[in-house]
Amino acid sequence: MKAKIFASIAVTITGAILLYAVTDFPNFGDPRSPANAGVEGGSSSASLYYIENTYRDTKVPNLVTAILADYRGYDTLFETVVIFTAGMAIFAILRVLRNEDAPSAPDPESTNRTIDGDHHRIIVGITCRIAVPLVQIFALYVVAHGHHSPGGGFQGGVMLGASFILIALSGSLRDALARFSEASYIRLASLGILIYAGVAFLPLVFGRNFVDYGALRGLLGTEGEEMARSHGIFGVELGVAFTVMSVMFAIFANLSTRGRLKGGL
Amino acid sequence: MILTILSIVLILSGLVFFLGAAVGLMRFPDFYSRMHAAGKGDTLSTLLVISGFALYQLRDIHDLSHDWPVLLVVLKLLAIVVFIYLTSPTSTSALADAGWEDGIDPVIEPGRENHLEDDCHRTPPSSPQP
Repeated sequence: MKAKIFASIAVTITGAILLYAVTDFPNFGDPRSPANAGVEGGSSSASLYYIENTYRDTKVPNLVTAILADYRGYDTLFETVVIFTAGMAIFAILRVLRNEDAPSAPDPESTNRTIDGDHHRIIVGITCRIAVPLVQIFALYVVAHGHHSPGGGFQGGVMLGASFILIALSGSLRDALARFSEASYIRLASLGILIYAGVAFLPLVFGRNFVDYGALRGLLGTEGEEMARSHGIFGVELGVAFTVMSVMFAIFANLSTRGRLKGGL
Repeated sequence: MILTILSIVLILSGLVFFLGAAVGLMRFPDFYSRMHAAGKGDTLSTLLVISGFALYQLRDIHDLSHDWPVLLVVLKLLAIVVFIYLTSPTSTSALADAGWEDGIDPVIEPGRENHLEDDCHRTPPSSPQP
């Protein structure tokens, strides 16, 4: 009871501080706010620079992708690390590694029922067998097409993770784990961070700054630094997609089985 | 012009069916008939509305060698229809099946014979999980 009172006091104070901070934000569409300054003439600002120069600098028509993965590459790198940390936290809190010693472990066979019962599974199963490859192809398209349309590593990675969750929901978690085992999702989540950090680190080898993909021009064999930056953005998005996909599925698998990875929904 | 009128007619009739589905969802007496209304609305009305969109896109085509990118939009719209036809009836079926498994009984008009118990052998409710 006491803990609840303390918790609600802490939550109320934090909420009040956050609400108080909201009043300091500039109004929507305020031409003099730091984000918009310079759009209506006057002093130049970061957003004006992005709008005018993104295509010239990176040959990426989608400004959002270019800002996210190139100009603000640090930010996105650590956003990806946050997602990875969330997956590791779920693993650390929930995962029960010694299945046979768990005191109240239910019989695996009895928890092997799917959401639509043991019979009539054929309709949902067949539809998901048709849908899952299409979802995955579209997810790859979203990952690779982030340069030209809304999309990118986070969105495509979520769709890839959802396709494996769909396998677990329509069949059983055992089917999904046979395709995407615990060892492989942990490896792929780490590999995604490694790809991102590696692509970001490579320019240091050529004597340039971190995440300055233009330095990869010689390595990638592109004509100008703009295309090297465009390709660098793609490499980074690929790393994000790996991490997000693996963490999505890891969170689902651990939450739905209380960390035992047996039975499930 | 004729394509525009035709597409308006298709979209409006799709909306009428959607309205019927919404009314059925609110007014029908039990879970299964409400699912029936919602499932019908998802498939037929979506087909009508999206074919209306596709026809509306086709209105601008005069020279196919120059205007062919419009066909890509039409193809994407048709792909949406195919996906909805695949997934929507499946989810309706899974929901109805889950309701049956969970022991929801359909509303039967008094005086009518209930043949459901003879037709479908309902599996006994599973033992409560620990």
